[in-house]
Amino acid sequence: MSVIETRELRKSYGRIEALKGVSIRVEKGQIYGLLGQNGAGKTTLIKILLGIVRKTEGEAGLLGHVAGDPAARKRVGYLPEDHQFPGYHTGFSLMDFYGALYGVPRDDRRKKIPETLELVGIAGRMNSKIRTYSKGMKQRLGIAQALLHDPDVIILDEPTDGVDPLGRREIRELMARLKDRGHTVFLNSHLLGEVELICDRVAILQQGTLVREGTIAELTKQKGRYEVAVAPGQQFPADAVIKLGFNVLPIPDKLDLFEVSFTSEGQSIDAAVKAIVEKGLSLRHLVEKKQSLEDAFLATVESAEPGVDRKRKRKARAVGGDDR
Amino acid sequence: MMQFVAILKDSFREAMDAKIIYVLLGLSLLLMGVAATISYSPVEPTEAFASILQRFNTVFPDRGRGKIPLGLPPAMTYSAKDIRAVPGGYSLRLEVKPGAGEFSFLGAGGRQNLQGDPLRFAVVNWMKPPGPTRTFMLPSNGGAVPFEVAEPQEASAEELAAVTDEQMQEFIRNQFATHAGVAQATVTRARGIAEPTYAFDVDLKMSDAVRGWPHHTSLFFGALTLPKPLPLGMVLWFIEEKIVNGFGATITLLIGVVITGFFIPNMLRKGALDLIVTKPIGRSALLVYKYLGGLSYMVILTVATVGGIWLVLALRSGFWDPSFLLLIPILTFTFAILYAFSTLVAVLTRSSIAAILLTCGFAFFLFVVGQAKLALDDFRADPKNAGEVHETLAAAIDGLHFILPRYKDVDRLTTKLISDATLTPLEQYAMAKAKADYPKWGETFGFSLGFIAVCLALSCWRFQTRDA
Repeated sequence: MSVIETRELRKSYGRIEALKGVSIRVEKGQIYGLLGQNGAGKTTLIKILLGIVRKTEGEAGLLGHVAGDPAARKRVGYLPEDHQFPGYHTGFSLMDFYGALYGVPRDDRRKKIPETLELVGIAGRMNSKIRTYSKGMKQRLGIAQALLHDPDVIILDEPTDGVDPLGRREIRELMARLKDRGHTVFLNSHLLGEVELICDRVAILQQGTLVREGTIAELTKQKGRYEVAVAPGQQFPADAVIKLGFNVLPIPDKLDLFEVSFTSEGQSIDAAVKAIVEKGLSLRHLVEKKQSLEDAFLATVESAEPGVDRKRKRKARAVGGDDR
Repeated sequence: MMQFVAILKDSFREAMDAKIIYVLLGLSLLLMGVAATISYSPVEPTEAFASILQRFNTVFPDRGRGKIPLGLPPAMTYSAKDIRAVPGGYSLRLEVKPGAGEFSFLGAGGRQNLQGDPLRFAVVNWMKPPGPTRTFMLPSNGGAVPFEVAEPQEASAEELAAVTDEQMQEFIRNQFATHAGVAQATVTRARGIAEPTYAFDVDLKMSDAVRGWPHHTSLFFGALTLPKPLPLGMVLWFIEEKIVNGFGATITLLIGVVITGFFIPNMLRKGALDLIVTKPIGRSALLVYKYLGGLSYMVILTVATVGGIWLVLALRSGFWDPSFLLLIPILTFTFAILYAFSTLVAVLTRSSIAAILLTCGFAFFLFVVGQAKLALDDFRADPKNAGEVHETLAAAIDGLHFILPRYKDVDRLTTKLISDATLTPLEQYAMAKAKADYPKWGETFGFSLGFIAVCLALSCWRFQTRDA
């Protein structure tokens, strides 16, 4: 059974369609990343899963319950984006309050609160009023409150927002540890580098539509593009390879390295390799080309219908503004 | 239960974070401090009984249960002799003599001379249910105030003769209860005295801290003394009704509306709401718990203020009146009406400013409707105004009063509660404008509770059905 599952999920705010039939599955123990531009529908999807907003159509399930069911919410920890904790609480008293709402017994709270705050690195300030916390500390507190009741699923919306680089690394390590312990992490982040480092699977939303979904390897793989090089001092047989129906381009700034790419379906790199070997040349380098998640993301959203930000950008250009 | 306690604690923390609550608690302490400086010195028993017995010519019909006194002339002189302090009270000989000259009264048949034995006449009228009333204009401070009395009813010679010693003794006992607040008295008619003069041996179980006993009252440990002794109950009534229930309660309620007006909008703020509604608690439960949490603010203030002042007054005066403590739930209930409305506005608008301003406006509107209803009822009650009532206006006032919470009625009932405990019936009649037609407790609280329930139900429905 999937931990999170949506089928043809739709959400409309009046005439605006925030989600247009999104279907995803998140399995137990995964770190699942949700990517998309501003207004792509990421937060709406999370809010439907948690019952904060209502779906218009489709299905959404969480831990075997209908999304929003209190029984499911009890097993979920959530860090919202742009959260505002009541400033009159201390870190400890806020955790105590939320822990009680989750039904964590008093003695357990007394024991676990300092431990959890220690885990996120703010135990030393747990008796200070939250209004005295920096943004990064509030973010760490937000993560702590999402972990206190040892939830099965942890939904984090921009967890590293406002956190310094060292803190980001700590949060990444924390997520990895949570995964090792069997927790499922659902991560919404703009920081693609982080997502690439820790996520098992990623979904890309564009204007309410799921445009790509898969493992990091699947998303970053560039099908049919290889980096090839022969031994130093040998001439790469570009003409012969081109004759076999491949595109061949030298890779700028990389001496002796060529990009060999397919021009049609059904081609295999084996034919190019064979041609090189038959000419008595020594193959020294053959790697299927990959791209960063950021490249993959940008390529995906470029090819899909432009999002809110891009519309604004075009509009700015149309009136002669500079929006770079 | 754990969730309820958690939200209650959270609301308490939020209330205590608003520094103004410390200002209010400080003001409460100041008020308690001032109350603690008030000294109550009972006058000598001779002077006290003379003052109490002066009022015995005022008789309430229906065995003292009537709210409007009889318009009897001061036809008797009551005096206390052989006053002795005995364990648990006083004993005395009460002499009742007819006054000199003739006395007349306005009855159903016009002005008549009082015939026969005035004490027996008073006892006969005391036993009868109240008859029609008549309003006099009494001179007061250079002007005149209306004073309504029940018309005495004629008593035949047979009726006067039929008055028994037991009835007279009961009458005297009731007069001590009515005019001095003495709950236990043993009265025995003395023999061998020719009528229409009477004497009674009276044993009173009482201390001098009864409501009718005149006291010298001074402020600031004797620095400022009131010019003449006043009945203890009257002084306590002024403090409890005018200062605590009037001025203090109004300030507390208004500040309460302002402070708690932020509670629910703060919870509904973007960024705060997502955190709380994703916890495993139903939205309706969350809102109702938050509402109850807001009420805890008023409980804290009223317990501290009313409880503290009650204790100080009781310790200083010796008058232990637990009914004043009922002000704690009553004030909390009054606040509950306003806070239910504030909650509804907060859920609909998510604006603390709207919640505060509209709730203050609503409180004022309820006050105006209550006052209008009171004036309308008084107007209707006067037979002279028959047929003069503006029907549309009256229907509007009656309709509004019917559907809205009984904010003003709760206040009137609180006044009655304090007055019953501290004032003699005559003082109540004169000072607290006590009328027979006080609103009923059940109806007042029932309709108000209904309003609270409707406001909360609407709030929950809206909170439940809207996207966060």
